[in-house]
Order: sequence, then C-alpha cells, then structure tokens
Amino acid sequence: MPAGSAGWTDDDRPVACPAAQREAFNHANSPFMASLRKSFFIKARDFAHAGEASIHIQNLLKSMHLDSALVRRIAICSYEGEMNAVIHGGDANIHVDIETDHLTLEIADDGPGIEDIARAMQPGYSTAPEEAREMGFGAGMGLPNMKNNSDDIRIECEPGQGTRVHLKFLYDAKREFT
Amino acid sequence: MISEPYTTHYVRFDDDRCTGCADCLKVCPTKALRIRNRSSIRMVDQCIGCGACIHACAAGAITAATREPENIGQDHVAIALVSPVLYAQFPNAMPKDVLLGLRHMGFHHAIDMSIFLEMFQFAAVEFIRRNRISQVAPWPLISPVCPAVVRLIAFQFPSLLPHVLPVLRPVALMAREVKERLIPGYEAQGRQVVLYYINPCPTLSESTPDHTAASRQLSVVSIGINDLYPELKQRVDKILAEVVPFSETHLEFETCTTGNAALVAMSGGEIASMKIEKSLAVPGLRETIRYLQKIEMGLFGDVEYFEFRTCREGCLGGVLNAVDKYVAKSNVHRMLHVYGLGRRIPRNTILQLYEKGRFQTDKSLPTLAALFGNRKPALSLEQMTEIEQIHDRTTGWCCGACGAPDCLTFAEDVVRGQADLDDCTWISKSKTRKGL
Repeated sequence: MPAGSAGWTDDDRPVACPAAQREAFNHANSPFMASLRKSFFIKARDFAHAGEASIHIQNLLKSMHLDSALVRRIAICSYEGEMNAVIHGGDANIHVDIETDHLTLEIADDGPGIEDIARAMQPGYSTAPEEAREMGFGAGMGLPNMKNNSDDIRIECEPGQGTRVHLKFLYDAKREFT
Repeated sequence: MISEPYTTHYVRFDDDRCTGCADCLKVCPTKALRIRNRSSIRMVDQCIGCGACIHACAAGAITAATREPENIGQDHVAIALVSPVLYAQFPNAMPKDVLLGLRHMGFHHAIDMSIFLEMFQFAAVEFIRRNRISQVAPWPLISPVCPAVVRLIAFQFPSLLPHVLPVLRPVALMAREVKERLIPGYEAQGRQVVLYYINPCPTLSESTPDHTAASRQLSVVSIGINDLYPELKQRVDKILAEVVPFSETHLEFETCTTGNAALVAMSGGEIASMKIEKSLAVPGLRETIRYLQKIEMGLFGDVEYFEFRTCREGCLGGVLNAVDKYVAKSNVHRMLHVYGLGRRIPRNTILQLYEKGRFQTDKSLPTLAALFGNRKPALSLEQMTEIEQIHDRTTGWCCGACGAPDCLTFAEDVVRGQADLDDCTWISKSKTRKGL
C-alpha cells in the first residue's frame, strides 16, 4: 500500500445508507442547506486535558437531540481520535461538520504520521511510547474502534507531515435536519 | 405580599427569600433554572431532584418538597421506613434505640432498611456474576441506588440507560415487602395506612413520578431527617438515659442492623461489601457527570460496577441530614467497629428469591426514558447556527446577569424564544455604543 492517501479498500467500507433513505434526508422542502462547523484544539501530550474536546462535542450534539446511540458512537470516535493526537505527539485540531444528512469528524494533527496504515488498523497494534502505556493508554484499539463506530473512515497521511482522519456518520432515518 | 412557594416534584422555592444571586443557576446539572426579576423560574420537567440548588442557596429560598411531620399515627397506621443514614445521626444511640424513639413519636412500625440493602447487594452481585457469562447488559453497570443518578442518566445520558443495573432499589424492595406482609392485616380491619419515608435527600417526594409500582396505591409521605430530628433526638436521649450506653453493650440478639448496611450510607459503602473485583465509587454531582461522560466516550469498559452518588460523601451528605456529614461518617465508623461486616440472610434463601425474579426491576428502559428524558424540542441546524452566532456576540464569561446559567444556554433561550437578546448586558451595551 502506498504511503500516500491510502486508507481503505472499497470492500472494507461499511455499506452506506440506502438510496431511498438518503433521498429522504435531502428532501426538497429544505431550501436551507446549512452546515455548522465547530473546531477544537488539542495539545499534544496534555494527558490532563485529554477528552475535553470530546466532552464539548458530546454536549453540542446532545443539545441538537441527535439520536443518543449516534452521539455515543461519535463521542467514542472523537475521544479515540483525540487520544491518538495526544499520545503520538503533534498538536491537533478536531473539526465537527454538522450537515443536513450526515456529520463528519476530522482530526488533523502535525504528528509524525502513520507508517503503516494497514497495520495500525489491526486491533492491538500500537506504536505508543512507554510513557503513554504506563498511564493505561495506547492499547492499540484507537483506529479499530474508530472504524467500528463510524460509517466511513478515511485516513490521509504523509510521513512527517501529520495525519488527517476523516470520519463520517449518517443520521438514522428518523432524524433529519430541515 | 406573600407569594405561594412554587415547587417542582422535589424542590420548593420561596420567591420572597430569593435574592437573585444566581448561585443556584450554575449548579443545576440540567440547567432547569433561570432568574427573572429577582426570582427564579424553573422548568419543572427538567428537575431531577439532586438537591444541588438547595445546597447552593445561601438565602434559604430553596428547600426540599418534603412534608413536616404532623399528627403522626393519630388517625392512621403510621409506618416509618428507615434508612441507615438515620442511625448515623446519633453518636451514642444504637439503631434499636432510634427505632424505639420513632415508635415513641407515634409510628406504629419502624422498619429497618438494612435487610433489604443486604438483599439488594446480593442480587446485584448475582446479576454481575451471571452477566460475566451471559453479557446481557453492557459493562460497566451503574448502581440504581441513587435515584437522582438514574434520572440524570435518563435526562442527559440516555445511551447509558442499558448500563443501569436492572435490580429493584432497596427502598422499593422494602416498600413491596411492607405492602405484601404488613398492610393486608390493617386493611382487613379497615384502617388507613400511611408509609413515611425518612429521607436524607429530596429525591423522593409524594408527587415523584417514579414511585415504585408496589407503593403507588399507598400514600407515601416523604419526611426529611432534619424535620424529624429535634423531636426524635429528645425521645432517643430519654431512652438512652434509661439504658446502658451503646459502646459498652453489644448483644447479638438486639441487633437490628449490620455493619454492611451502616456502610451503605457512606460513599463507597455499597461496593465495599459487595465482592466485585472491579468496581468504583464516585461521589459528588460534578464527578458523577464527569465519569458518565467518560463512560459514554467508551472508557471504563473494564470496570464492572459504578456506584454513583450525587452527594459528596454519599447519602450522609444528603441535604436533609441533621448532623454534619463528617460527624455522621465517624458515627458510621463507630457502628462498623461494633458490628463488623457480614451478612445475616443465608445465601440459599436469597438465591431462591432471585431465581423467582423477585429482584427484577419493574421499570423498563423506555419507561425510564419517558419518565425522565429530555422533553425539550430538538433544535434544527439553522437554529444551531443562530445559537453559535449569538454565543459569539456574548462575552463567554457566563456572568449570569441575563438570568441564564451560561452564555450558551442564554443563546439557546433566545433562539427558543424564551429570552430577549437585550437581556445580555454586553450585547445591549455594545448596541448603545454603536448608537443603535
């Protein structure tokens, strides 16, 4: 796999939401196709404040009455993403984009990048430093958990230039923004 | 002019005493309070009865919606339901003396909760043990003992509802047992029975929507320990004057409680005698919220049981207690020295009851969500954007001058049409400056 924007083979991708459902999301009586972006800064190696951004995201989404199970999936992913950035160094920004039919989470850090994305996706594979493991972090479940809890994951990284993880969440059919 | 004190299910507000200091706004975990014209308005639906505002109110304008004890047992059969927290209020008295004092006060029965606590703990351990294999409930399980915690979860963390241990709370077990075994006799005689729950906190009141099925048909009166204490203290002191002091005699046949039960009043006491390897006790409202957030983010999947209490030091820190929580704690320690730890009910007896499903909770998750869930209308993306824009215009200091607990809630109120943009002093001032 080339080191560039490699991420996911198409086969691994979770099945996207069916076309009929998607149509319901984008239905015509919503002329206002707004999207809302919130960004949070994450400081590298700041274990004391790790998780704060995820709590903000949790509270934000709850005030919108997003389905609680979905909020939980997003919270788990943002926390794992946040911890990845904290552990592996490199200050990071986490952006939440709330769209009418889906939500994306982007975690962009200036860390060392991921050397072998395929291996990093394997549960239990970890490159976390000893320091982090002593604190109980870095069990090698970060990316696998993010994959399991999101509807789509895409990783962009260039060695030495940081990593961008894009996560996509689809709202369940009951919920739509107008 | 005297205005009628206004109440939620759990808390009573006296507007004449309210100074408008806004202390209560900031502590409310569900943001149910606003200040308008120097008096608070509340969103009754959002009150979970944690008692944080009572703790915070320096003016004494907020009190628990409990009832003053009056005419106990005069025209009815009065049954006192006593939690071990009450014993901790008496430094020298034995629990049996406290129960006797209650009967001198006019109660026909004074029922000790400790045996039901023991049953609850047994059922909890048994459920956890079986869950290790069956995995019917997700880890970590959360203790249902503190009702404010359960309501907080339903309101703010609905995705964690499946984590709440599906075992009947000790109070519910006690009420059911009393109803099944004690009350029929009186009913046969045509006498009216009233259950008095002697409360360390305002989490249970007459209008509480979550009365257990067992006690719903009965009238249950909630009395705060502090309301009852002065008279009870006198009675108990009188009894003590006539008997040998507690520390010198401890006769097994006089025991009506156990160290296990006494411990439950204290933070960490529930799990201390429960023999679960991986369990954590978290007291205090802020910490509870913090840890619930962490559980929601997927942490603590390796912990089996969480004991949350919204009060610091556990139930001893309840707002209706009569003595200082640390004094009460030392009283619990003293009781522990006398009783030690240990169970009274044989394992097999409880196991049979467990198999019969006697400990299974009667409230399903959808019921809990419907009773205590968040009923505010959902915000649209457009509204969220508007909230963000208003929030950007505020200072973000959360001064409370507008009457909302924080700037974000203020922005939300404006968008929901419940507040005026000019209520924010900063926004209205900057308008004036621009000559608008």
